Amino acid sequence: MRASSPCLLLLSGAVLALSAAASTTTDTIPILKAPEAFHEQLVLKPLNDGSVYSHFQFTTHIGTMMDDDHFDGAASNLFKHYNLFPRSIGQILHSFEVEELHLTFTQGRWQYSDWGYPLAPSAGTGVELWAWLNDDKRQTEEHWKGLTNTLSGLFCASLNFIDDTITTEPKLSFRNEGLYNTHSVPTTSHNKNNSTIPRKLRYGSLPHENVCTENLTPWIKLLPCKSKAGIASLLKSHKLFDTRFYSMAVHVRSVCEDEKCRVRSLELIQTITAVFDVARHDGSFDWSLSGLFEREITQSCPLASTSKVIVNLPQTADVENQYSLVPHPPQGIHSEGSGDKKQEIAVYDLQKVLPGTTSPFQLALHWEGSRPKLVRAITPGIVAHRYFTGFGQERGGLAIEIRNNNSQDIEAVYLDTLPWYLKLYLHTFSIQLNGNSMDNQRDLVQKMFYQPAVDRSRPAVLELALRLPANSLVKFTVSFDKVFLKYTEHRPDANRGFDVGYAVITAQLPREQGQIGFGGLDHLRIYQEREAGLVQGRRSGKQEKEEKEGETDKMRVYTDTLLVSLPTPDFSMPYNVITMTCTVISLFFGSVFNLMMRNFEVVKPSSSSSKKSGKGKEKAEKTE
Amino acid sequence: MAKGSSSNNAAAVFGTAVALRLALFQFPALASLLGERVEISTPVTSFKRLSEGVFLFTNGVPPYDGGVVHQAPLLLGLFYPIISSPLLVNLLYILTDLAIGYMLLRITVIKDMDYAKEKKITQYGGKEEEPGMGGLSVATLYLFNPYTLASCIGRSTILYSNTAVVAAIWMGMKGNRSLAMFSVAVATYLSLYPSMLIIPVILMLTRKINDNDLTKKVTIQCTGLFAGSLVALFALSFVLVNSWDFFGSVYGTILTVSDLTPNLGLCWYFFIEMFDQFRPFFLVVFQIHVFIFAVPVSIKLRKYPLFVSFLLCAIMGTFKGYPSIGDASLYLGLLPLSSEIFKYMRYSFLVTNLFMYSTLLAPIFWYLWVYVGSGNANFFYAIGLVYGIGEIILMIDSTFAILRRDFEAHSPPETTGQDAALGWDREVVQK
Repeated sequence: MRASSPCLLLLSGAVLALSAAASTTTDTIPILKAPEAFHEQLVLKPLNDGSVYSHFQFTTHIGTMMDDDHFDGAASNLFKHYNLFPRSIGQILHSFEVEELHLTFTQGRWQYSDWGYPLAPSAGTGVELWAWLNDDKRQTEEHWKGLTNTLSGLFCASLNFIDDTITTEPKLSFRNEGLYNTHSVPTTSHNKNNSTIPRKLRYGSLPHENVCTENLTPWIKLLPCKSKAGIASLLKSHKLFDTRFYSMAVHVRSVCEDEKCRVRSLELIQTITAVFDVARHDGSFDWSLSGLFEREITQSCPLASTSKVIVNLPQTADVENQYSLVPHPPQGIHSEGSGDKKQEIAVYDLQKVLPGTTSPFQLALHWEGSRPKLVRAITPGIVAHRYFTGFGQERGGLAIEIRNNNSQDIEAVYLDTLPWYLKLYLHTFSIQLNGNSMDNQRDLVQKMFYQPAVDRSRPAVLELALRLPANSLVKFTVSFDKVFLKYTEHRPDANRGFDVGYAVITAQLPREQGQIGFGGLDHLRIYQEREAGLVQGRRSGKQEKEEKEGETDKMRVYTDTLLVSLPTPDFSMPYNVITMTCTVISLFFGSVFNLMMRNFEVVKPSSSSSKKSGKGKEKAEKTE
Repeated sequence: MAKGSSSNNAAAVFGTAVALRLALFQFPALASLLGERVEISTPVTSFKRLSEGVFLFTNGVPPYDGGVVHQAPLLLGLFYPIISSPLLVNLLYILTDLAIGYMLLRITVIKDMDYAKEKKITQYGGKEEEPGMGGLSVATLYLFNPYTLASCIGRSTILYSNTAVVAAIWMGMKGNRSLAMFSVAVATYLSLYPSMLIIPVILMLTRKINDNDLTKKVTIQCTGLFAGSLVALFALSFVLVNSWDFFGSVYGTILTVSDLTPNLGLCWYFFIEMFDQFRPFFLVVFQIHVFIFAVPVSIKLRKYPLFVSFLLCAIMGTFKGYPSIGDASLYLGLLPLSSEIFKYMRYSFLVTNLFMYSTLLAPIFWYLWVYVGSGNANFFYAIGLVYGIGEIILMIDSTFAILRRDFEAHSPPETTGQDAALGWDREVVQK
């Protein structure tokens, strides 16, 4: 593969040049069969602890042929006409020159050690927004501000609070996700293609933001069928927000439509991930679609090219058929992988199942007898835990524990953004490996990027390129001071404390057994077998890849958000403090003024005479 | 007193001071505990922040492109080679503290020589006024002041600013213009407020000159020297950190009081509680208020430049944005230089009590607020107010005392005539 990549690159370059030259004479340019396409699918999986994981995914493609290096919407006539692609998103991308956009709303904690890694790439509590912006005209700051404010209005969220004090520009994490696919040319080629385009990354997160119905409604409005038909008709907010974990995302990026990246398209992926606690009500682990969502799918979305419900069957280790899936999938159960990595999948194509019947689509899973305690253990490759140390409201410490469960060294990037009101002391940064403090940090921390915080204007960013030894526990500690805020800078519920966002670990992980997903957006495409050729290409590419380096996935692991309590002033005191301080200061000023302006004088013994003389003197002074 | 015994005494005092500090530095926990106390380390003098600055500087991160480091670049340069060795750092602190003690001793000697030429004040019973404290006593009072000790062990960098101030006074008394102005410039460079000491130091330099034109010439020359030294220091800083960011980070923080970490001053809680729209106004008023006294005090007390420098240091230590007990140790060290006024002071007992009261209660109330949560910010603020009132009464009282003594010197009780009946018990009022 590596040997062949320069050839591929040459080839694609040549084709691009050719197409640019001969755009009027249509010869070599492949014509898109469908300039716009919409795919929807629902993935369901019973988790090890009995919860049910559900993942809705709606993908809208808007095709374009781009001779240009970058995604130039205006030039390619892309944002002139909208059919399936939501106009509101298109206009945002166009007016703020957004190359890539990722917006995720999350509520609840993703339990890595119980559930493994999620299918959708983001799982940090709160709202996370990151975007690659075109920096041709050096207007990134204005565009980012406009983008956050517009999205804030669009999704009814407090995204406008992502201002300079929160926004960061990670140097190693959150790389471009667009313009390469699992089945297209390797990433290096597109980087070379696009090296001339100045792009800027902006990243911001709001850990305090609550996600609720008002965010879901505008999100549903972006779908071509809204929630009228297709799997989106299952989206009932009362049930979705009554879950252990809820995550809702919008990802926009440009992708390659063929192996050589001659045809590209803009891809909008909307996902909703929810983990239902099915056993909470009656103790039974059985579930059905109507039970989970209290809604039914009565018709498939006519605008969708594909519309599928996919069930990842639980992999019971010992005995077969401990459960029954009703109805049985028409095409039978097929399995991916083998041995430990085996995953059985049942696929229901709604476009084939629904027409012809008037009854809604039903799906249920029943356990025969009692559900086995542990289906198959999950050991996530990397688990991270971050917490505060110390007590009191004056200072504290931050500790991060990263456990590498793999039997090989893992390259990982750690990104931590701390708000300015925690003053980090980097000279107190220390590393422990398996409980022993390390003097030589170079083996472990290969690169370190640190941006100190500036009061009231930017956060502290700590980014570490790590090499985590196999089967190890790495612990970092760093101490900080808590800043005393002005009374207007406190939240209305000042004694609750301030939310401190999550840290993100990006790592290239070998594919593990029993995981739901593999982190990256590309993996989401695995279920979209859109065009046979593409899939074929992907498979062949993948096989080669497998031979070369084994299966790895770029994964982002999020730590929990933290709550820090800052020292509070007495909020009822402003007038008292102002008057008392000013009194003390004027006491000094008055006394010194007195001492400076007046002279000593001897008092005459008889008071009457002293008064007279005093008056006399005053008079004398006045007459002078 | 024989010269030998006095030098023996000096050796004993300084030796004990060194031994005491060395012994206290033997407990690193004590040093870090004191170094983290808000009364000792402020955002602009904290050794922890200095270490962070040196660390960032060593690792190529611009130290002033952040909100942690507010100390002058040359301090980073001073500590850059030695910060890895706690022993060297501690020795530097001890020696600097001793240098202040020594300079105070020398200043007293010069002052005594000046006073020897003056007309003695006659006191009650026709006796002559006794001479003030000896140099060694002044040095002892400084070196064994608990505030000085705490500030030194806490490794507050205010010590270097204090050293420059005392050096400026010493050089001023000695008549060495360039070194005096350079020292004032260093003090200004380190903590900005001492810039107003240029006036008393020029008064010292010109105190023996009777010619008006010559005085003017010297004044202009001194101002030039001061400006030149300051510019040179800034240029050197720029060479060191290769950016002008330090201006905003060092002097901007001092002037705008942007870091509202509590201290014993009056500003922090005021600006935490201040309404946003009035903050700039009060900021300007408070900062002007610190500088406003330099000129009138220097005019009124121009015969007593030593006392003027004490008073200005006390004003700085009370009203600046980030005062600490290191500032108190400076003006309490300068006060005995005017020891002859002590007997005219009326509120010494009250002031002593206020200082002791606030010193004891400040850590307790801080603990109650920040750690236990059974008190709130008002507790610590109240102690700050008490401390401030103590400082203010001290300043007012000492100013009163020196003016009273001045009055005694100029209009001694008459021994003949009608007013002689008033005698030594005459009443005096301010008119």
